Amino acid sequence: MTEEQNNQTPIIELNGVTKEYSSKKNFLSKGEASIIALNNISLAIQKKEIFGLVGQSGSGKTTIGRILVKLEEPTKGIIKLNGKPTNNLKGRLLKNYRSKVQMIFQDPYQSLNPHLSIAETIIEPLVVNRIGNTATRREKVIETLEIVGLSPGQEFFHRYPHQLSGGQRQRVAVARAIILDPEFIVADEPTSMMDATIAIQLFQLLLDIRKKFKMTFLFITHNLAAAKYLCDRIAVINNGVIVETGIADKVIKNPQNAYTKKLILAQPGFNFKN
Amino acid sequence: MALLRVENLSVGYKSKHGLIHAVNNISFSIEKGRSLGFVGESGCGKTTLGMTLMGLLPENASILQGDIFFNDDNLAGFNDEKWRTFRGKEISMIFQAAMNALNPVIRVDEQIAEVIAIHNPQMPRTQVFDQVKKIFDLVEIPEDRLRDFPHQYSGGMKQRAIIAMALACAPKLIIADEPTTALDVIVQDQILKEIKKIQTALNTSLIFISHDIAVVADVCRDICVMYGGQIVEKGNREEVFQSPRHPYTRSLLESFLTLDSNGDIKVPEIRESPDLITITGGCSFAASCKKKCEKCENRNPGWVNLSSTHQALCFEEVIHKD
Repeated sequence: MTEEQNNQTPIIELNGVTKEYSSKKNFLSKGEASIIALNNISLAIQKKEIFGLVGQSGSGKTTIGRILVKLEEPTKGIIKLNGKPTNNLKGRLLKNYRSKVQMIFQDPYQSLNPHLSIAETIIEPLVVNRIGNTATRREKVIETLEIVGLSPGQEFFHRYPHQLSGGQRQRVAVARAIILDPEFIVADEPTSMMDATIAIQLFQLLLDIRKKFKMTFLFITHNLAAAKYLCDRIAVINNGVIVETGIADKVIKNPQNAYTKKLILAQPGFNFKN
Repeated sequence: MALLRVENLSVGYKSKHGLIHAVNNISFSIEKGRSLGFVGESGCGKTTLGMTLMGLLPENASILQGDIFFNDDNLAGFNDEKWRTFRGKEISMIFQAAMNALNPVIRVDEQIAEVIAIHNPQMPRTQVFDQVKKIFDLVEIPEDRLRDFPHQYSGGMKQRAIIAMALACAPKLIIADEPTTALDVIVQDQILKEIKKIQTALNTSLIFISHDIAVVADVCRDICVMYGGQIVEKGNREEVFQSPRHPYTRSLLESFLTLDSNGDIKVPEIRESPDLITITGGCSFAASCKKKCEKCENRNPGWVNLSSTHQALCFEEVIHKD
């Protein structure tokens, strides 16, 4: 990252974010056990950056994603969007926040409503935010479909999710995320269910969108090779604590933390010594 | 003699659009104690192949042609009753979704014991549970977790329990279909080590099915690459992954991300999946092949020998064109 970028206000900032979940031991006793999912997380993501969050199941990486799109509120700590604190937003302010921060979920087989056509799925954010009229919305949907590589757009307009492949469904999810022209997108393991060739096509799409629309991404994954390909910087998270942050190539080439080293060693490669 | 020998096997699914040729005329064999990996993308027929070898094809699917020789038996002609005594004992399977493969209301040790008891009806119950203990020891699940229910296990432990179930009757061949797909890298690494360790220790044969070529390269010594229901390249792992010759294998490797890959990754064109209903003449990969020539579209390619163990389903002139 250059000096100049360092001086800019980060688009997203987490300051000392902690998230605890309390779980009642059983429904009769009043005793509560709390699980610390995130412990004092601080992060700053710069504009146009693809920032990778890498860790294994249960490390808290998805919780960070959910907090950023306001599906959860942190127990402690501050989240800033463009330098402004956004904790406990309500009503119109929350709606406004959500139009700026969008999410692409892991499983495109579950994140699309099977009863809605592709057009209805992608148009919904425009309707909710009262943008445009029927004609302009239709135009915008077709345009967005073509941006995400589902062209010609008219052909996909009236289809339903079950008529699409996994890769095409995830492109619909991308279209739904970008149609409001958000500033920041959280992509939570968007390719973990896909074949390698389909995954790399989706990565290319995210890179194209970043370039074209100057969007910023948080990419959540357990796959270091994918993070290295896609991300500018990465943070490695273990048990709710960020253990290492840095430029993706450097962290992977020269990891400092023991857990990062363990993650790198576990990555299957093509060494035929065994 | 090979433990398992598959010859000219074709499997089809009936659908309202016509017969889908999911597995199309494939042949291979596996010796005792060897590991054979099948790699390919969704829809290439690798799971159908595994299900055929386990006699678990759904109602609308059937073997269209070919033989499956296992020792002296031909599994292609087995009826349900024969499969019941055979399945789990001679060939067993490690399933993909460990979360769903265990019964949630039965204790884990009971589920493993059931497999042993069914195949050994005379065995006393205490001996069955001794056997269960031994297997849990092998897959490294602590003894005090034997009586747990599946929901008390983590994802990795469930997968170990599934492996234990597959090992219960000391089968001669284990088929593992994407056993680590739902797991994260660290747990995946542990499970793969476990599978390799057990396979060597028991000298069983292993067929390992996955879409992740790095995982297959890690576990298996011999590799078959599948595309459109056919095996398109086979050889040992060094031959297939270090000097791939079929254009499809090459394109797979070119776009596969590893920690060592730099700017040399190629993003493949978005390609239509091959039509498995109308099988016309010609190579199934021709539509997406960068090296295709005229005859690729009209004539079926044959096996080109590249070494005594390495073969590709292609034309000589295409393979040698660079």
